[in-house]
Amino acid sequence: MVVSLSHYLIVAGVLFTLGIFGIFLNRKNLIVILMSIELMLLAVNINFIAFSAFLGDLVGQIFTLLVLTVAAAEAAIGLAIVVVFYRAHRSIAVEDINELKG
Amino acid sequence: MIAATLAFYLFSALAIVGALNVIFQRNPVHSVLWLIFTFFNAAGLFVLLGAEFVAMILVIVYVGAVAVLFLFVVMMLDINITMVREGFLKYLPVGLLVGGILLAELITVFAGWVMSDSADVLRAAPAPDPSDIGNTEALGLILYTDYIYVFQAAGIILLVAMIGSIVLTHRTRAGVRKQVIGEQNARRPSDTLEVVKVESGKGLQ
Amino acid sequence: MTAIPNLTPAYAEMFLAIAGMALLMVGVFRKSDPIRGVTMLAILAFAVAAVLSISTNGAETVTFNGLFVVNAFTGFAKLLILLGAGLAMLLALPWARNEGVSRYELPVIMVFAVLGMMMMVSANNLLSLYVGLELQSLALYVLAAFNRGNLKATEAGVKYFVLGALASGLLLYGSSLVYGFSGTTSFAGLADALTGAESNAGVIVGIVFVICGFAFKVSAVPFHMWTPDVYEGAPTPVTAFFSVAPKIASLCLFLRILVGPFEDLMDQWRQVLTVICVASMLWGAVAAIAQNNIKRLMAYSSIGHVGYALIGLIAGTQEGARGMIYYMLIYLFMNVGTFAVILSMRVKDRYVESIDDLSGISKTNPAIALALTALMFSMAGIPPLAGFFGKYFVFAAAVNAGLIPLAVIGVLSSVIGAYYYLRLIKIMYFDGSVENFDRPDYSTSLVMGVCALSVVVFIFLPEPLLAGADAAAAALFQG
Repeated sequence: MVVSLSHYLIVAGVLFTLGIFGIFLNRKNLIVILMSIELMLLAVNINFIAFSAFLGDLVGQIFTLLVLTVAAAEAAIGLAIVVVFYRAHRSIAVEDINELKG
Repeated sequence: MIAATLAFYLFSALAIVGALNVIFQRNPVHSVLWLIFTFFNAAGLFVLLGAEFVAMILVIVYVGAVAVLFLFVVMMLDINITMVREGFLKYLPVGLLVGGILLAELITVFAGWVMSDSADVLRAAPAPDPSDIGNTEALGLILYTDYIYVFQAAGIILLVAMIGSIVLTHRTRAGVRKQVIGEQNARRPSDTLEVVKVESGKGLQ
Repeated sequence: MTAIPNLTPAYAEMFLAIAGMALLMVGVFRKSDPIRGVTMLAILAFAVAAVLSISTNGAETVTFNGLFVVNAFTGFAKLLILLGAGLAMLLALPWARNEGVSRYELPVIMVFAVLGMMMMVSANNLLSLYVGLELQSLALYVLAAFNRGNLKATEAGVKYFVLGALASGLLLYGSSLVYGFSGTTSFAGLADALTGAESNAGVIVGIVFVICGFAFKVSAVPFHMWTPDVYEGAPTPVTAFFSVAPKIASLCLFLRILVGPFEDLMDQWRQVLTVICVASMLWGAVAAIAQNNIKRLMAYSSIGHVGYALIGLIAGTQEGARGMIYYMLIYLFMNVGTFAVILSMRVKDRYVESIDDLSGISKTNPAIALALTALMFSMAGIPPLAGFFGKYFVFAAAVNAGLIPLAVIGVLSSVIGAYYYLRLIKIMYFDGSVENFDRPDYSTSLVMGVCALSVVVFIFLPEPLLAGADAAAAALFQG
């Protein structure tokens, strides 16, 4: 029973779906939404590393390094925006995003 | 071989359990801890795939920096935990349906993954033989030469993230006493002390 | 040792990156009124970058190990981006003074956002596409929430961030699948791998994810939910910036990847894009009717305009590409001009945004009324104004590509859309006057005048512009 590329892709697919699931299902806490975004990016990283290994190509790993950097930057900006939101609203519940109705 | 297979199933099962807990935990602090757990297991998967350097970076960057940042903000914001769950069940059936469909589609696609015939020819940076050169060294050899452009761009992204978070959250708060070392050092005895000759029988006003 | 890559094609980007960091220093060390000086210098930096971009603009050159490309198309797109950003910056100057905003980081972050857009447009590899896109997006997230004390602005920031990060995630997941199938991330390699390959489910899923990510960035229906909120919540000059520069950049990149590496899969992406395009045109026209806030109205209007521009993309021909570039050029002037009008809507030192505030200004402020009339007629696509030509070229391209139903839907939705543009004109000319506007600022009037004039006199100058757009489109299709 050899672990094939498909195994890794399926694990990444499950994590990615859970990330999307977390974004849409969470009604109470913005920080958990940010964590779900991190999960999505982790799934993408698993994809890239798996492809990189099975293709024998290093570009996938370079891409992963970039995604990690950007994910850290995104977390910093995201948390800053959440802090600003909290200071203005005194809450970080998703339901309190109701000043504007798109 | 068996050990590697077992390790794969262990790491991936734990990563998925961790991800589920990130989403379903009641307390955001627990969610962050589960996120760290998930990242550790993903790093295990990376090691299995022969990408040691990225695995280590994942642990250092995520556990060392990002997760701590998350914890810091969670604790700073003082969130009411008891109400975090309400309203979850209302959206659960729809969410499960949509998520289930997406997942099923992805799995059908992945189960029979084929690569393009030309994929072998098109590789931009074929991985060298691990016995000749380590993963870290191989990455370093191309990251700073062939991929210098994206490396520099990543630096600018981090700069923007830094400027952005400072612009958004920095404020000078009134009523907070801060130590200003410059002012302390600049003080002279003559500014604050006065030597007075007190005449006897009069006292100070 | 590896040789140092050829830096000449990237001079404009390198200059802008260094200028951004230098401006930050200027802002830190300048004692009085830093935002004014930094904004002026930023406009100057845009001008220099435009000159550098034109001077390096010739035959197609690839550098940085194939990560970066310049040709006539990227040059034209960069000029549009810099022009839009420069005009928005001119609008930001009086706004900052009137509102007492002293944070000079606003122009600095805009400079970095523009840098990201230029990098996007010149991307020749999924790696460089991703870093450019993220540099742009991260800067825009900060700009959306820049008014941090304001409830609406923080909410807009949160919405934009969450949906934007989701879109980036989708795009990235799609790129990983494309990479996994073809074994390469370079556009040239992808074109090789995808040509003649039997259609593979993995690649199709990957491309659909990439299209969804881009559709968000250009705010096409059904990924438009953030647009009205961000337009309303963000500071008005930032909204003007949002409505032109990122859209031009994303649409140009979209065009480059769809007719470049993914050209062979046109049958597949055409279906997805047609749905997105028709939905954007119709929803942009219908939903705008009920709006009472002029910034929200402009949001729906921009959703509709993106739909029209996408027609040129769907045509997938050189004529379609030229139509789209042309449309974006005209859209830039119409939109920035309208935002200049919105920024001159000041009553007693306070900015107002309601459509009713425009009532009767033909008597009190005839110049503003006249400018807005020209802009609105142009947006509605009434000849002989610029907007008519923009629509004409994309519809003609669609008809010649055999997409007659799409062109018909486009004409129909522009007739519906004309209703709310004309409603504004009716309010200005036939309703009773409410209040006098304050005297508009010098640079706001300048931008308003230039934009309104250019949509009016456009009929006299299509030749040189068409030649530029032609060369740009030709550069895209020669390879």
